[in-house]
Amino acid sequence: MTTARSPFDIPAHASSDDPRVTLDEQLGVFEPIPPYPPRTEREAEFYTLRDGEMFLNMGPQHPSTHGVLRVVLKIDGEKVVDIDPVLGYLHRGVEKLCENADYHQAICYMDPLEYISSLFCEWSPVIAFEKLHEVQVPRRAEYIRVLSGELNRIASHALFMGWFALDLGGLTPILWSFIERDEIVEMLAALTGQRMLFNYFRIGGVNGDLNHEFMSRLGTWMSKATNQINSNQALLNENEIFVRRARGLGVMDTQTALRMCLTGPNLRATGVPFDIRRAHPYSVYPELDFDIPTRTEGDCLARYLLRMDEVKQSLRIIDQCLHEMPDGPVMAKLPRLIRPRPGRAYAAIEGPRGQYSSYVISDGTDQPYRMRIHDPSFIHLQSVGLLMPGNLIADTMAIMASLDPIMGGVDK
Amino acid sequence: MTVVGRTWDRLTIPGKVLAVVIPLGAILTIGLAIVIALVGGAVVQFLADNLPLVRFVVAVTVVLLMTIPSAFLIIFMEMKVIALMNLRYGPDRVGPFGSALSVVHGLKVLMKEDFTPTGADVPVFTLAPVVVYMASVMALLVLPFAPGLFGQDFNISLLFFFAMGGLTVVGLLMAGWSSFNKYSLLGGLRSAAQVVSYEIPLILSVVGVILLAGTMSLNQIVLGQAGNLFDWYIWRQPLAFVIFFIAVTAEANRTPFDLTEADSEIVAGFATEYSGMRFGFFFFAEYVNVFIASGLTVALFLGGWNAPFNWPFPVTVALDPGGLGVGLLLLIALGPPLAVLILGLPFYLLNSRLPFWQALVIGFVLFNLLAVAAILGLAFLSFDWVVGLLWFMGKTYIFVFTFVWMRGTLPRVRIDQLMGFAWKWLLPASLVNLFVTALAILVLAK
Amino acid sequence: MDRALRKCLEAHFGERLTGPIRQRNDETEMRIQPGDVPEVLLALHDDHELRFQMLSDLAGVDTGSAMQVVYHLWSDTTGDWLRVIADGLSRDDPRVPSVTFLWKGAEWMEREAYDMFGIAFEGNRDLRRIYMPPDYASFPLRKDFFLPDDASRSPAGGVRPMEQTHGPTNAQDEARIRQATAG
Repeated sequence: MTTARSPFDIPAHASSDDPRVTLDEQLGVFEPIPPYPPRTEREAEFYTLRDGEMFLNMGPQHPSTHGVLRVVLKIDGEKVVDIDPVLGYLHRGVEKLCENADYHQAICYMDPLEYISSLFCEWSPVIAFEKLHEVQVPRRAEYIRVLSGELNRIASHALFMGWFALDLGGLTPILWSFIERDEIVEMLAALTGQRMLFNYFRIGGVNGDLNHEFMSRLGTWMSKATNQINSNQALLNENEIFVRRARGLGVMDTQTALRMCLTGPNLRATGVPFDIRRAHPYSVYPELDFDIPTRTEGDCLARYLLRMDEVKQSLRIIDQCLHEMPDGPVMAKLPRLIRPRPGRAYAAIEGPRGQYSSYVISDGTDQPYRMRIHDPSFIHLQSVGLLMPGNLIADTMAIMASLDPIMGGVDK
Repeated sequence: MTVVGRTWDRLTIPGKVLAVVIPLGAILTIGLAIVIALVGGAVVQFLADNLPLVRFVVAVTVVLLMTIPSAFLIIFMEMKVIALMNLRYGPDRVGPFGSALSVVHGLKVLMKEDFTPTGADVPVFTLAPVVVYMASVMALLVLPFAPGLFGQDFNISLLFFFAMGGLTVVGLLMAGWSSFNKYSLLGGLRSAAQVVSYEIPLILSVVGVILLAGTMSLNQIVLGQAGNLFDWYIWRQPLAFVIFFIAVTAEANRTPFDLTEADSEIVAGFATEYSGMRFGFFFFAEYVNVFIASGLTVALFLGGWNAPFNWPFPVTVALDPGGLGVGLLLLIALGPPLAVLILGLPFYLLNSRLPFWQALVIGFVLFNLLAVAAILGLAFLSFDWVVGLLWFMGKTYIFVFTFVWMRGTLPRVRIDQLMGFAWKWLLPASLVNLFVTALAILVLAK
Repeated sequence: MDRALRKCLEAHFGERLTGPIRQRNDETEMRIQPGDVPEVLLALHDDHELRFQMLSDLAGVDTGSAMQVVYHLWSDTTGDWLRVIADGLSRDDPRVPSVTFLWKGAEWMEREAYDMFGIAFEGNRDLRRIYMPPDYASFPLRKDFFLPDDASRSPAGGVRPMEQTHGPTNAQDEARIRQATAG
């Protein structure tokens, strides 16, 4: 058995409270330069300052980094020369936790991954577990999954709109978009019992059938949703300052987007009509009629507008789900403790941010042997390093917000 | 322990306070009386000889004291108006409609720890808020509030105003540099770049008004707009008005030009490391600047204290109570009770659960309110400065509302857009405006 | 299941495959040597029949006896997910060539696999720890990772210490894990 190696012999930071540390030594503490020699080519390149450049450490307590992200900017005046995101401030080791939980318990670790769109985090492991155990999910359960998932997608995109505007300095849109989100979250709370971490999907179905409160809230909301969403967007879409700032910012072309492994709206904004709901259908999406909006500009404005188009498609899907919802059970018959046959399964779904996927290895016990969670935020955040250089400090957060990463998902 | 000490220990805290304050007050009063008796006459004579000095000291004090409540008012207005625009409730706990919340904020800021970061340049760090705040207050000194109600009337008061406004940037730069924080530094440098750029179109747009009025005294400029709505300079200088309002927004560091304290980019800009009352000074200065910007816009383009129509003031109300004779006695004796009864009657009739004495109380309160309103109305009609102040404040607060409204609606511009807008659009436009105005004056004068 | 894909893969990479191509549900799986990763993935990416242009996932796996790196690919020519397993990395010094020359976006996923499993991706120019602090010494998702866990001392019955759950304890377990990870 190999013992843990210790590849880096690194002294820790001197504490600034230590009375033996002089002021000159303390001043170094404020620099984001690591107190050890660079370990990789990239680190050496980044932490070498040329003439006129300085480091700016944004986060993890910066007011507008989404969650606890730390970004080290190398700036030349107002211009960003290079950027180095530093992750791990929210790392909880979900993959390790899942290896120590049984299959049902593992699902509830998924919710806090992307706390804005929890249902999508549950969805891909649930499909993977069902593949492993070879469960047939009732059709009504699939429809309910699609219905609640699309509601969650709208909630997530509504929040995106608010955050994006907030990072561009607009105060009001975030509060307006929270109205949308709150109504959806309230109705999902009626359905699932939780406002934020729904924990609703189960292996072989969903936790409960549609209830009266959910349906009445949904009906009330659907009757005014289009108007409400349009009025929220009118505040930004027709705002000259907003459009001028977002247009032509952080342009990503198709080939680069594919090389950066982007998925979801960020990829579709570059013109690739890749949507797993169509590209590799799961659940009942093949039976539903909806379009995949694409845009070719690939800038922040395109990403924003594309998400707003997706909201309209989601409303269409919800409408169809309500009309075509079959009767029947919402849960397959399953034992309390699941012991799938040894094997491997992979499942990917299309979430509001892109592809959420899970790769599960079962060794025949009641716990997964290995559970790999792939999160789109993690992948998208690294393309910030590609988009940022040459832009201004003010655009750091705007570009980051336009990629819509959630730190819970990035840090797992 | 002595007798005195034991007695002192038995006193409660209010007792201790009184036991100190009362003898001290007595000693001070007697001392003051002696001093007045000895040198009072000379002092009064000196003050009477140097009235402008007295006037200046009083004006500075009043203006300094005025900034606090007006800042409170604007802060409350911003909190409440933006909350309503955001579909929130906003402040609703302290005072009616939460109106005392900004006062509580002020107290909170006073009580917080005054923190100085490691590595800061302490004297500069301490001095910076004072410079920013005093620059704002000094600018307020020349603002004409009403006929005869202004701190000081220079013949170069507009120049003084812009000089003081330009001094603000020194304070911001000091704060940014001395904080030992990169965000502060960026904020300070941004504010320097911004204020210097926008100072030029700001002053150039006003030159048109100066040409029209033929003076740089704000008081004279406002007097030049006397008459009705169409005598205001906004009709003769519409382009200058637009340029001035944009530039003054940038000068006051307000949305969409609030890059110096852009919270989504550089945390709080120059104010990042400030806490307690030092931050409070920055905070107050910002809202005083909003007031000043609005007030100056009103004074330059919207007629200042002038009413939008020909106001018949001062009105002399010809009342001769003596002409009533015995009737006066009757009026005083019977009028108020009768009014109380008449005012209370509808409440008694319309609400059957109301006892008659409660209806009487309502009537009494209403009568008193009416009487006070009548007396105030009489004052309003009789003194021109009351009318002028009301008009001025009304117009100014419309502009303050506009600033708040913009903050609730608009995103922030980027620094390159900000500079490009100033140099590529505002500066040429203000030069064109100046040229056209000068030409028009020349042509019309011939 | 896509039979054509299976034939196509066998035709292309016949001699490079270290195990049979398996198909289950909507997944096709092929195994290769770690050293073959760049050529195989480049061929999968560029071949005009296959065109696996999207890297969906990159995961490290510790099977207890060896390390694996698992790539999931998607192409619009087929309905299946393609799983490429680079199998048989030594546990003492796991090394595999990086795919960042093909997908720059794999950089962070490789950093994560390095952080969690200690797999060194040769050619990744930024192979630092990504989640754990830079002075952290062990690799948490390895099966021999030891964490003195308070849960093992807690009075709640049935809470198992984290480090003992999946340790290969006896021959039966080892056989099962081999079945799960090797086929």
